[in-house]
Amino acid sequence: MAMQKGASSSTSVKTAQHSLLPFLQTQSQQSLTRLYQRPSSCLSIFRLLDPLSRQLILNLLWLESPVPLSVMTAWVTTEGTRAFDDAVSILTKLHILPNPSVKLSLSPTFKASMRQAIIGGGTTASFGVPADAENKKPPSPANLDAYALERWETILHYMVSSGRGQRPREPSRGVIKLLTDSGLMSGSEAAPQITSAGFQFLLQTPHEQLWQLLLRYLVMAEERGIDLIEVLSFLFMLSTMEFGWDYSTSSLSPTQEVLMEDLRDYGLVWQRKAKSKRFSPTRLATTLTSSLPSLPTSSSSSTNTAAVASGTGATSEGFIILETNYRVYAYTNNPLQTAVLHLFVNMKSRFPNLVIGMITRDSVRRALANGITADQIISYLAAYAHPQMRKFNPLIPVTVQDQIRLWELERERVKSDSGYLYQDFQSLGDYTTLVDYARQMGILLWESPAKRCFFIREDGHNVMKQFIERRKVSGGG
Amino acid sequence: MNADRASHLSLILDLSPAQWHLSSAPSNPSPLSLETFLSHVLTFVNSHIASKPENTLAVFGALPGKSVLIHSSEIADADGSVDIPGDPNSYRPFKLVDSVIAQNIETEIGGLYLADEEPPVALVGALTKALCHINRTYQTSAERSSTTQNSDAVPEPRILILSVSPDLSASYIPIMNSIFSAQKLKVTIDICKVFGPDTVFLQQVSHLTGGSYIHLEQRDALLQFLIMSFLSPPFMREVLAVPKQDKVDFRAACFCHKNIVDIAFVCSVCLSIFCSPVPVCTTCRTKFPIKSLQRLQSARPFQTGGPSGIANGVSTPANGSPKPRPATAS
Repeated sequence: MAMQKGASSSTSVKTAQHSLLPFLQTQSQQSLTRLYQRPSSCLSIFRLLDPLSRQLILNLLWLESPVPLSVMTAWVTTEGTRAFDDAVSILTKLHILPNPSVKLSLSPTFKASMRQAIIGGGTTASFGVPADAENKKPPSPANLDAYALERWETILHYMVSSGRGQRPREPSRGVIKLLTDSGLMSGSEAAPQITSAGFQFLLQTPHEQLWQLLLRYLVMAEERGIDLIEVLSFLFMLSTMEFGWDYSTSSLSPTQEVLMEDLRDYGLVWQRKAKSKRFSPTRLATTLTSSLPSLPTSSSSSTNTAAVASGTGATSEGFIILETNYRVYAYTNNPLQTAVLHLFVNMKSRFPNLVIGMITRDSVRRALANGITADQIISYLAAYAHPQMRKFNPLIPVTVQDQIRLWELERERVKSDSGYLYQDFQSLGDYTTLVDYARQMGILLWESPAKRCFFIREDGHNVMKQFIERRKVSGGG
Repeated sequence: MNADRASHLSLILDLSPAQWHLSSAPSNPSPLSLETFLSHVLTFVNSHIASKPENTLAVFGALPGKSVLIHSSEIADADGSVDIPGDPNSYRPFKLVDSVIAQNIETEIGGLYLADEEPPVALVGALTKALCHINRTYQTSAERSSTTQNSDAVPEPRILILSVSPDLSASYIPIMNSIFSAQKLKVTIDICKVFGPDTVFLQQVSHLTGGSYIHLEQRDALLQFLIMSFLSPPFMREVLAVPKQDKVDFRAACFCHKNIVDIAFVCSVCLSIFCSPVPVCTTCRTKFPIKSLQRLQSARPFQTGGPSGIANGVSTPANGSPKPRPATAS
């Protein structure tokens, strides 16, 4: 515990890397440079970076000549050296800082675009062309939220109910293909079943879920031969657009117009008609690069627009109350949330605005068998805790937390290994030499001198056979 | 605790027309006009918002005789009355902030009544407004969620003062009071002295609230200074060495004549500061015995209150430590 604390304080500024960054790092320098030509892409990537990298970029942004590395490092305290080195290496991998060994300077393309992003100007139109006002009014924020929520919950609800043989409304073919391709669901095309990865997916925050799907989408786009940079810059453009505005499709490339169809299925953009010349990004899209809640409070039923409107802007409130006696009260009428809770809660009764259930050994073991971990259950309960529960510290009762973890450990009581059993030794001498050898090689799993038998790892069998043969030869000769 | 926390910046701009006129005079080693200054500041402000979409901003202007709120993210978000047409080549939040700030500063300065003698700049007013704004917007929500895990969703507040006017000794007491409020609110106050001599009180402000004080010498590099020293939020400063002043002028102003004094007399009851012995403390009405008054009077080396050490005058620490004598070559 003490060691953990020490480690966390020394790297206090280091935060978890965004899941998109490793993907970008695998791209070639040429394609990244093409991506950096658009100011909106630069701004979005910049926002996905950790605070130290961001500061480093801004420090270098307005300098005309390269800065010696030693000058920059002099400006970092001794505790921050490691974080600084990490930041430099990430930026190098993203080709934002070319050859940082001696002198630091931003890649010229990135520098020019980032400057344009901050002070405006240029002719790239990378922040989206607003549609003419004409006489068509853009959709109201409430409608957009309701639309995004409905799309997103359709996907999640489809996943969660596939395991129980229900048939809810199906999302489009493209979405189903994406889900099966990403390993969140598996099985036949017509009726795929949710996988353990899918169960884990359900318990993540909407933000993580969205990026996980988008990353998979990018990989798929690459396989389909679509220009990846077009996809990325389109996503980044969406993320810098103004929520509640109408944009024109005129500046989009043909590839991007094809993408529009897919993104409409995920609820990222809204269009009046499929062939419409204008589109509006939803909150799912505009919060891609921030940590603001990407979906309005989802406890209200998606058909109830008034309730959605009242929930916009506010952070999504929790709805779960968990007591020390393992009882769960969930103030929700949303079938999706009920279904997700049902993954690890034994439901007892249901009221118009309330579901009551119990966390039991069986219900948790069922979840564990589906591949959900105890930590995921606990973090889900914490993330959606009711405001009333937030008065307690710790948030989740310790007894419940510990018990869920113990139930997880319970499943790990028996550990199985495949291997070979050696038995029926003639003499104790033979037995001890072989056991000693196995121990030396680190392949011994179990031994019983009383029964004169031992068990070794599968991959150690050949080594052992050779050893026995060598002994036979030397013994015989 | 998530380390990558949103931060709130309250920016206080010193907009004294007289000082800016002096600053842009071509006789300066590096003249800096208000327009150039504002363009640097707007870029800095954009960089602040660019760093994290959740970052918030409030800009206050200290004008002669009054202080105004120029821009606030909360207000701008709420009413949406500012109608800026969309531009495909710029990020709308930046454009919105820039045009609101530029427009409001223009109206404020244009609306100034030009008297022969400019009244002093209401820096304290702006500082107090900034503190009230932080208190209203962030402190209440922080308290509400202080026991929960999402307290780091509340932005970490700080104030940056860009000052051009000289010290105003009359404002000593209100400035000290602001410092105490800032300490209580855990607000860091940074100072950048863009023009003019060092100010004693602002040095103390940044020293006592854990901020940094920079006297800008290369004024053409204002933006670079702002970004490197003042853009990093307080939690980042564990990792990045931000320049701090090596010596702080701790002198105070007396309560009677508002003079900055090296050595003063302090009321033994309420700790009020006076430049000369008084029979009755003006703050707490304590009467001092005539005898000790006479003794204090006789102990003063100069009636004018020169800066020399006397034994029984209670003194606040004077500027810095004794200067080391130059080493003689041996």
